[in-house]
Amino acid sequence: MKGRLVIAAAAVGSLAVAGCSSSSSSTPAASGGGSSSAAASTKSCVASVGFEGPITGPVAPLGTEQLHFAQLAVATDNLANKTKITLVQGDTQLQPAQATTVTQQFVSNPAILAVVGPAGSQEVEAVGGPMARAGMAFISGSATAVALTTGKYPTFFRVVSKDSVQGPQDANYIVKNLHPKALMIVDDQEAYSTGLVSAMVPVFQAAGIKVDHESVSQKVTDFSSLVAKVTPATTVVVLPWQVAANAQQFGRDLAQQHKNAVIFGTDGLFSPGTFTINGSYVSSFGPDITAMPADAAIARAALQKFGSFGTFGPPVYAATHVVDEAIASVCKSGQTPSRSNVLAAIKATNEPASILGQPISFDSHGDLNGGKFFLFKINSSGKYQLIPSS
Amino acid sequence: MSFFFQELVNGITTGALYSLVALGFSMVYGVLKLLNFAHGDLYMVGAYIGFFVIQWFGGAAHITIPVPLLLLIMFVLAAGLVGGLGVAMERFAYRPLRDAPRIAPLITAIGISFFLESSALLLFGAQYRVYNTAEFISLSSGIQIGSVTIDSVQIMVLVLGLILMTGLQMLVNRTRLGRRMRAVAADREAAEMLGINVNRVIASTFFLGSALAGIAGVMGGLLFNQVTATIGFIAGLKAFTAAVVGGIGSIPGAMLGGLLIGVAESMVTGYISSTYTNLIVFGLLIVVMLIRPSGLLGQAQLQKV
Repeated sequence: MKGRLVIAAAAVGSLAVAGCSSSSSSTPAASGGGSSSAAASTKSCVASVGFEGPITGPVAPLGTEQLHFAQLAVATDNLANKTKITLVQGDTQLQPAQATTVTQQFVSNPAILAVVGPAGSQEVEAVGGPMARAGMAFISGSATAVALTTGKYPTFFRVVSKDSVQGPQDANYIVKNLHPKALMIVDDQEAYSTGLVSAMVPVFQAAGIKVDHESVSQKVTDFSSLVAKVTPATTVVVLPWQVAANAQQFGRDLAQQHKNAVIFGTDGLFSPGTFTINGSYVSSFGPDITAMPADAAIARAALQKFGSFGTFGPPVYAATHVVDEAIASVCKSGQTPSRSNVLAAIKATNEPASILGQPISFDSHGDLNGGKFFLFKINSSGKYQLIPSS
Repeated sequence: MSFFFQELVNGITTGALYSLVALGFSMVYGVLKLLNFAHGDLYMVGAYIGFFVIQWFGGAAHITIPVPLLLLIMFVLAAGLVGGLGVAMERFAYRPLRDAPRIAPLITAIGISFFLESSALLLFGAQYRVYNTAEFISLSSGIQIGSVTIDSVQIMVLVLGLILMTGLQMLVNRTRLGRRMRAVAADREAAEMLGINVNRVIASTFFLGSALAGIAGVMGGLLFNQVTATIGFIAGLKAFTAAVVGGIGSIPGAMLGGLLIGVAESMVTGYISSTYTNLIVFGLLIVVMLIRPSGLLGQAQLQKV
């Protein structure tokens, strides 16, 4: 009799314990469908978001800026949404191999529900497969190669426009405003660069401009022989490169050999502390948020906390914000955030305004709807001045 | 024609750097029959030393001492410290393996290369360090002959390179140390039996070869401005190619090989396209090896049976 009473008491006790734990706060499940929780609210909305960026390496200034803006976005959104989102850093050094290693770490961490980054198109090519297999959304603030959004990476999104927009836009500007009879365009043998060259060269050729297409590895730092090929008729040198320090060296070699060609660079050259060649142009996917009244508070906070910045940070702020809002919306709907429901929420993103000065929504392949590019010219003090779009 | 001479100047300047690094390869191979794959990373260490000397004296924009003195300190420090590093490498990594099968020191050399590169990454970070040479040596200084421009840094690299290579040739051919080095290269055991301190000769060889690589590193920093932990790989690869083309173990061969590689790169870039530079240059290497396997100035080795 006593034994039966003990067993019955134990059974009732375990049922009581089970009942209590099922109604307690939700756990940060990372895979599979989310489980409902009667008491779920954004107050208990706990999640981790991965950040992949070149925090060290040849473009460390850009990667660090991206990291800072991602951190700022998470802090701001946690405050606004009463969420507890943690940013987990992964340093890719802009190398596909390194990005793959970081992605594998993130994928095997069940707490990480989505990723901001990576920065480079070649890195997206390397990690797109693993991300897709893990069902993990990843949003880049700077990868612009056209091939990334052909449908092969179903969980990839970007908050910047792509080379097929930037290439013709920049090429048309060069044709209509700089009027070169001949130009040199040099790719750095990476996906980002070769993609832009493919988009720009046809525009130049259609305009009757003589094009000298050269190619150098990112590891090359001796451009003297290439610069010697710049003829007096070559008034523009297009450098769609990722490493601003290389472009600075190229500019120095131009000056040393008394060549008058103007450098026209793309996003990778947007590095006010590194690329300062007077008279150069830089086309960027990011706006200058210090000139946008709606972004004054963010710009002020970023300047105060991290010092001066360029155009690589704001798109990453936008990307991180999209992820944060997706997680918050999942929590608000009473679900436990997981990779699948966060991915679905990101796909359904429809923000009427953003730090980029435009709405954010994605098409079926993950491209930003209505994305555009911005053009800057460097003056003699190394300051980047926005050229108003015509 | 002026375009040809401009490319020639550019090629000879780069070739001088390759030659200085290739000399170390050849010297070490000559005495030890060892391909020191860590040699290119000594170039990288030299470049970093030069960078930190600039920072020590106020940074590129605010140099606190006369520029010639700054350059002298950079070269002397790089030579001394990198030379010492080379001696340490020989003493602790290669000497214990001197009588081991050839593969052992080769693998060790590769390991040391990664060790040096990773150490530099850990100590100095992966960011590019920039010499900003133009801040303390004006871009407009130098000479201009027609439309051919040779700036001060190029002149310095060419002159210093020539002095160092000539000096090394004289040291090897006309000094007691040089005689001993040649004796050890010819037959180490016989040299030892004749009373030559083989360890000291080998250490001296490593010091000289490494010092030259260190000086080349500073020159590279002044010319190309950028220093990272990975610049040694490309420099080492090109220098190794130069040493092989010229004749591994031959000092004049290393000089010739370096200049040939530098000029070939420059001419291919200038007259064909930079896309094909490596293809054609390494293609030439294959052709030279097929026609003359011992290199242009190398000597076929007699094997006693």
